[in-house]
Amino acid sequence: MCNNHDKLRSNNKDLQNIEKQWDRRTFFKKTSLGLGAIALGSLLNSEKSWANVGSFADDKYALDALVKNNLGLPHHLPKAKRVVYLFQSGGPSQIDLFDYKPKLKDMFGNDLPDSVRAGQRLTGMSADQTAFPIAPSIMNFKQYGESRAWVSDAMPYLSEIADDLCFIKSMHTDAINHDPAITFFQTGSQQPGRPSIGSWISYGLGSDNDNLPTFISLVSKNGSGQPLYSRLWGNGFLPTEHQGVQFRSGKDPVLYLGNPENYDGEDRRNMLNYLNKLNGIAYDTYGDSEINARISQYEMAYKMQTSVPEVTDTSDEPDYIFDMYGEDSRNPGTYAANCLMARKLLEKDVKFVQLYHQGWDQHANCPGGLKMQCKNTDQATAALIKDLKQRGMLEDTLVIWGGEFGRTVYSQGQLTNTNYGRDHHPKAFTMFMAGAGIKPGFTYGETDDFSYNIIKDPVHTHDFQATLLHLFGIDHERLIYKYQGRRFRLTDVHGKVVKDILS
Amino acid sequence: MESNVSDFILFIGRFHPLIVHLPIGFLCFAFMLELVGHYKKQPAMTSAIPLALLTGAISAAVACILGFMLSKSGDYEADVLNVHFWFGIATTGITFLAWLIRSEKINISKFEKGKHHISSLALIVVLLSVTGHYGGNLTHGDGYLTKYAPFGKKPIKELPQISKLEDAIVYDYLVNPILQNRCVSCHNNSKKKGGLSFQDTIAIQNGGKNGAAFVAGNAAKSEMIRRVLLDEHHEDVMPPEGKTPLTEEEVEIMKYWINNANADFSIKVGSVKTSEAIRSIASNMLKIEGVVEKSVETLPILSKINDEILNEVIASGFKVRELVFESNLYEIVLPTSTITEDNKDELDAKLLKLLKIKEHIFWLSLGDNSLNDSHLEVISQFKNLRKLNLYKNQITDSGVMALLDNESITSLNLYQTNVTKKSLDLFSKMKNLKRVYLWGTDIHKNDLSPYLSKEHFPEIVL
Repeated sequence: MCNNHDKLRSNNKDLQNIEKQWDRRTFFKKTSLGLGAIALGSLLNSEKSWANVGSFADDKYALDALVKNNLGLPHHLPKAKRVVYLFQSGGPSQIDLFDYKPKLKDMFGNDLPDSVRAGQRLTGMSADQTAFPIAPSIMNFKQYGESRAWVSDAMPYLSEIADDLCFIKSMHTDAINHDPAITFFQTGSQQPGRPSIGSWISYGLGSDNDNLPTFISLVSKNGSGQPLYSRLWGNGFLPTEHQGVQFRSGKDPVLYLGNPENYDGEDRRNMLNYLNKLNGIAYDTYGDSEINARISQYEMAYKMQTSVPEVTDTSDEPDYIFDMYGEDSRNPGTYAANCLMARKLLEKDVKFVQLYHQGWDQHANCPGGLKMQCKNTDQATAALIKDLKQRGMLEDTLVIWGGEFGRTVYSQGQLTNTNYGRDHHPKAFTMFMAGAGIKPGFTYGETDDFSYNIIKDPVHTHDFQATLLHLFGIDHERLIYKYQGRRFRLTDVHGKVVKDILS
Repeated sequence: MESNVSDFILFIGRFHPLIVHLPIGFLCFAFMLELVGHYKKQPAMTSAIPLALLTGAISAAVACILGFMLSKSGDYEADVLNVHFWFGIATTGITFLAWLIRSEKINISKFEKGKHHISSLALIVVLLSVTGHYGGNLTHGDGYLTKYAPFGKKPIKELPQISKLEDAIVYDYLVNPILQNRCVSCHNNSKKKGGLSFQDTIAIQNGGKNGAAFVAGNAAKSEMIRRVLLDEHHEDVMPPEGKTPLTEEEVEIMKYWINNANADFSIKVGSVKTSEAIRSIASNMLKIEGVVEKSVETLPILSKINDEILNEVIASGFKVRELVFESNLYEIVLPTSTITEDNKDELDAKLLKLLKIKEHIFWLSLGDNSLNDSHLEVISQFKNLRKLNLYKNQITDSGVMALLDNESITSLNLYQTNVTKKSLDLFSKMKNLKRVYLWGTDIHKNDLSPYLSKEHFPEIVL
């Protein structure tokens, strides 16, 4: 698809002459494969393979772009219109939150049997331990709702809405350390450089709101831990306008939107029009699609001058809404405030809202640390889902809660009656989803008695990504971008839609 | 039709369709040279003609030999093959003759010079065309060429529309369409791959080289089913690699016909033991509604909207998004607060624009835009509407009443509107309605209790 980003096509005579100079390799490639490619092109659906041509030049095409997706998307009827992805960075402990393992109580302090670990690699932080003492969860678990889902008492608010959630207890991933694991979850590759999920969706489906970015990320200020890098919401090799825009935590989510002192901004529209004209000439000359990205970014920034203050202003929210999200929600930049902001952004049809909350990395003091994390997030997460539901938005908004991996059943460091730590565990962990097209009140997958290995219905990170795209009406095998001669997908050559969790 | 020819002969023979295009090219080009040379008075052109004729004749001869080898496979209908064979020989022969005359190896100077050259080349082109046409018929089946021609369309034999699944003849309504779609392009009376044809019931009963395709009552032993279920890379898999395989549903129907209907050609669904799963597949195939609760929603098929109309809708401030590529089904959103107290006169005109695309609107969001009950009369005409967002508007029970005629709505969002519990009665009458959002209205949880036992009552979210 969209090969035209690979090559510059200019209208400048000198540049054109350079483009025309064929080296030996190009000559052989074009003469040997070129004819075949033409023949193949005419065999395949010719109308579609030329669909992109001239989409910048022609007004009619530009208009078509408003309603016609020039990638042939969506492939099928979407269930989700928007998504809010509550990323719990650090690796929340599934054993202490959702994956209830009562049999562990009797095994307190026993060494983890080799048959369970089966030579699984560990991180450098606990690989040197002489023993791997089993640490049963200190939390109390109960079943909630009609679905009888197990939730620990660390999440009192979430347990109330268990019937709206779909737990996947059989998640597994390839990476065992934070950065590769998060990068893997967000971009489909452990190495940096690929586009994030939000960028893929922005590229594939475009925007539903001309005045706000399609993809917005928020990092809450009341969690701390392993750093997050902007490449997690980066566009990789996709055109730059698809990168996520980070709203800063704090009073001023986007900097430099206000007019400078002594300037009223009245002639900015004129200035931009003229600048766009100049950029248009530059694009015409050099044919670099990044110039178009720059034009659209100037336009977006201009619109955001009015739209961002409006959407980030929570002063018109009634008190009972703040009460629902918790006291923190009045403090801009906290997880709770970001959840509320997320709802407001989703109401404005921002397609992809990505929240990050750090601090789920309980290598030591797992019980205390976890309770703190839950205190900061539980109420707001539940409130967001409830709020979306009462507004009828849960029907077409997908809510995702999860981290980059889970935590081990054995204690990292010393195990006592009241304290333990847990190391990273990529082989089994829990996520939950709710809303658009997802079965409510459902639990999928199972782990063994140690929450260590998956025994039923494993869901790989790529499967999760494939399912996410599926809910947006996208066949993950057909959303492709060609870059440096290779065709890329979010799910690379993997991924299977998890049909069983779809309603 | 017994074929005991060595594989090598067939291997070579299969190059026939490739080689056969060489003489076509050479000879047509010779004809063009002749025409240009003759009428443009460019005699230099004609000097290349003998060479074109000779190469044409040689390649035609090679094509003939390869074609003969290919015909030994026995996959082709004898009559058409015969015609193709003799026309091919004739074309080759006459080309040779033309070359002899042209290169003056034979002298027929008593005819007027020039005329006979053109006429012999014209004859060759005619022969080429006839031979080629029969060849094409052999490969692709009779009528391949004109199937999509704008003229002389034969009326397709339409099966009478049935309303009850029980009345459908299993073979005619369910099995035959599958065979026609997936098999007949290679297994027909003129192109019998493996000696097998599915063109009509007699041909089916005759079976093919490997015996009967269907064993009545035993799908597992039926050759056709065995081949269809093979691994996609297996040598014997049907349809062969590269063609569209049968869907799971189609295989189920085939098995059902063989096992439950004994591969009978006239039995009806009503007199065959039919499982729920089959009933569901079959009613989907025949588009009979209401027989079984369908799990997958079928989308209405709609024609394209005129660009101008669509642009008008966009120009009036609606966000327009096609829900599935080229489905012509749209989500329409009027961004919140586009209409306020100050400009509410504009709303009527905007909604009238939507009326022009009323069948194409699948999801509609008009939340927080100063709508009132009168506007809902327009909206109720949107016959394919599934999701309707009307939150934060001045809507009362009489507005809901206006929607009663619309039977397609499945989800209705009325949070923070002025509807009261009188509307609950109306919701129970909207038979496709699945969910209603009523948070922030005067309706309270205990108002719902009388309805909870009702058979048709949507989920209410408060």
